[in-house]
Amino acid sequence: MNLKRDISTSTFSGFALSASLILTFLNVLLNNIPTNITRVGDQFLKLNGSEGVANAVTTVVVYFRGFDTLGEIAVLFIASLGIGLMLDSNTRCNLKADSNFMLKTASQLLFPIIILFGIYVMVYGHLSPGGGFQGGVIIASGVLLLLISHKEFEVPHSVITLLETFAGISYVLIGLIGLVVLDKFLGNFLPHNISDMGMLLSGGIIPIIYIIVGIKVGSEMSMITQNLIKRSDDV
Amino acid sequence: MFEFFNQPEIIKIVVIIGSMTLFFVGLFGLLTQKHLIKIFMSVAIMESGLFLLFIGLIYKQNALAPILTDNQQGFINMNDPVPQAMILTAIVIGMAVLALGVSFAIEYHKLTGKTDIDEITSLRN
Repeated sequence: MNLKRDISTSTFSGFALSASLILTFLNVLLNNIPTNITRVGDQFLKLNGSEGVANAVTTVVVYFRGFDTLGEIAVLFIASLGIGLMLDSNTRCNLKADSNFMLKTASQLLFPIIILFGIYVMVYGHLSPGGGFQGGVIIASGVLLLLISHKEFEVPHSVITLLETFAGISYVLIGLIGLVVLDKFLGNFLPHNISDMGMLLSGGIIPIIYIIVGIKVGSEMSMITQNLIKRSDDV
Repeated sequence: MFEFFNQPEIIKIVVIIGSMTLFFVGLFGLLTQKHLIKIFMSVAIMESGLFLLFIGLIYKQNALAPILTDNQQGFINMNDPVPQAMILTAIVIGMAVLALGVSFAIEYHKLTGKTDIDEITSLRN
């Protein structure tokens, strides 16, 4: 009897392993519930007022952890590059069903509104909940709607290349200008007064960098959705 | 009847048990399923359990979202912004890496016609 092929044995052993691990983790976590600990976030909240940005999460993502965000953008670019290499994009849509007239008209009506909402979320990322990552994903969802409803629609490759190159280069350039002017990478060299807090033009380079992140995330997510829908296979 | 659940310790215990249960549901699927796409789905479920744990553990009673509005006097009595910022980026990165893994699975199926991990024996001699 081949134990490796026996489904009940593997199910039982997987269940036993998961149950023992969950008991161990729960034992550790429930015995050490953090209640009153000094957190790095409290220090960040104190420092946050000096940058003149109303949304503290944006300041942490773009300014205090700005170098880390640059690395995450690079990870996103590498994932998008790998998908583009694996699934060579074809002009033929892989969806079986035809889209009817109502879906086509409604998607043409909705697409500009979705793009506008994504740009709003991106631009107001330093004042309200939202930001570059969320706005970019909203724009990619609008592109996904058009790709599903219009089989002949294709994301223009040259435009995406231009946007992505522009966004990546300008992120690094802004960081280097901060290095030259203020002697630290991604330093806030534009005026950022506390009295301007809550205005659209406030926070120095922080909203500019978040818009750049939004452009990069939106273009890369659009290319990922297009590559996954328009595959060149027959199954 | 819900006052009992409104204590901070009880909320943390509920968050820990729920998110770790979700994590180990994903781990169980990862260990037992044979289909490649189902394995990537299990990894996504494990990820969502971790996100819930990170966000839930920073819960403070009566604390506000870390965004300054007109009614507040400064960045006081607010939630910790650091885990929120980390999870915000981790969700987008997780989605991109999941799409990369799915594209590997699609390409493998296109080349060999196999999706079961027991049949993937190309590197075994």
